[in-house]
Amino acid sequence: MNFSIIARCARTGQLGLAVASDLLAAGRFCAAAVRPNIGATFTQGVPLPRNNRLALNLLAQGWGPAQALKEIAGNDSGFEQRQTGIVDREGSVAVHSGTMLRAWSGSRAGGGFAIMGEGINGEPLLEAMAKRFDSIPGDDLDERLLSALEVGRDAGAGAVISAALIVWGRRDHNDMDLRVDFHGGPIDELRRVYADYKPTAEFYDERARNPRNAISAKEFAENLKKRRAREGS
Amino acid sequence: MTFSIIAHCPRTGRFGVGSTTFSIACGRRNESIRANVGVCKSQAFYLRHVDVLALNMLEAGHTPQHILASLAASDPDFEYRQLGIVDREGRVAAHSGALVRPWSGKIVGESYAAYGNVLAGPQTVEGIVAGFLEHPDAPLEECLLEALEGGRDAGGQAADGVPWPERSAWICVTGQLDHPEVDLRVDLHERAVDELRRVFERFSRLERRTA
Repeated sequence: MNFSIIARCARTGQLGLAVASDLLAAGRFCAAAVRPNIGATFTQGVPLPRNNRLALNLLAQGWGPAQALKEIAGNDSGFEQRQTGIVDREGSVAVHSGTMLRAWSGSRAGGGFAIMGEGINGEPLLEAMAKRFDSIPGDDLDERLLSALEVGRDAGAGAVISAALIVWGRRDHNDMDLRVDFHGGPIDELRRVYADYKPTAEFYDERARNPRNAISAKEFAENLKKRRAREGS
Repeated sequence: MTFSIIAHCPRTGRFGVGSTTFSIACGRRNESIRANVGVCKSQAFYLRHVDVLALNMLEAGHTPQHILASLAASDPDFEYRQLGIVDREGRVAAHSGALVRPWSGKIVGESYAAYGNVLAGPQTVEGIVAGFLEHPDAPLEECLLEALEGGRDAGGQAADGVPWPERSAWICVTGQLDHPEVDLRVDLHERAVDELRRVFERFSRLERRTA
């Protein structure tokens, strides 16, 4: 059982992916699934991580998502055992849900995003994820993707053990790449990791730019804890 | 506040990295390993683009030693950085700057390097190497995990005599394909290396076939 969303942020041009799965460490199938200024893609069902690079290479060559998906279909004898989605840097989307997947399976394409679900409890889950993602366009892409996963969880998706959240911006490395590989409540756990990582990310960048004046990571973590205690009280 | 091992397996040609730290989600640094090219893992006030740059230089044909010299010449804060580079011929270069927080240091071996900072002492890095070399015939991913466990058991991270927990951990191995063969992570946990072992055991039993 897998559900995922790939998306482009219309405001920032960031590209991202979030997935939850009953397979161990779904994040390991996300290698090279997002490429800055090119697109985002994901293949689930029977995983095939090599599709990621191929799909984005096709976009980089100049194909749109629809033709890229056709090329992938022709290249893969197991295409009907998978779901494959592609979104490009302009927000164009193509998505395919194979005919040989566990029920219920389906996909939904929106403006700048695609949602895929396999072995889930029905189409309303995809609707709920899409509605949530669409309803907070002013939020950061990472928050919108994670929120969509949470809505999927709350819509009764079923038991998952891993989750991943990936966002790339303009840089030649990811802006965010968080994972929970093996956990009884991986989406809750991903939210916990995200809540600590998000305010820390800028600190990690700044201490590298200016090591002479940097405080330690432990000091930063303790300050964050204190600040939260103050704000909470 | 981090210790790592990078390696090239002379038997199989596979590359691997293992890392653990107090910081969150050290495995997000997936730019540090590139299949059929090499590994460059920087840490201690690391600039993330450095690993990408070093691997681009490896891909262009430069040696690890030359890349290290170029990085040194281009970075006024190089003495705050710690990094290791290994290429597909098993050549290794590593740097542990004089201004990296203590205890910090490195051990460079045949096709591997182990290094860390804010450690209990040299015994941590020695523990990494001992763990890595303990089962030379084991798959690289097992050696990497045993290296992290060896570093942990030898004292791990500590500042002013006070131990720091490993809160995130990561092992990644690439083979002939572009995407990793093994890529397992713990992003935020009080005993991240223990937890990574739990994930790895599950992976080894059930999941290898899907990779």
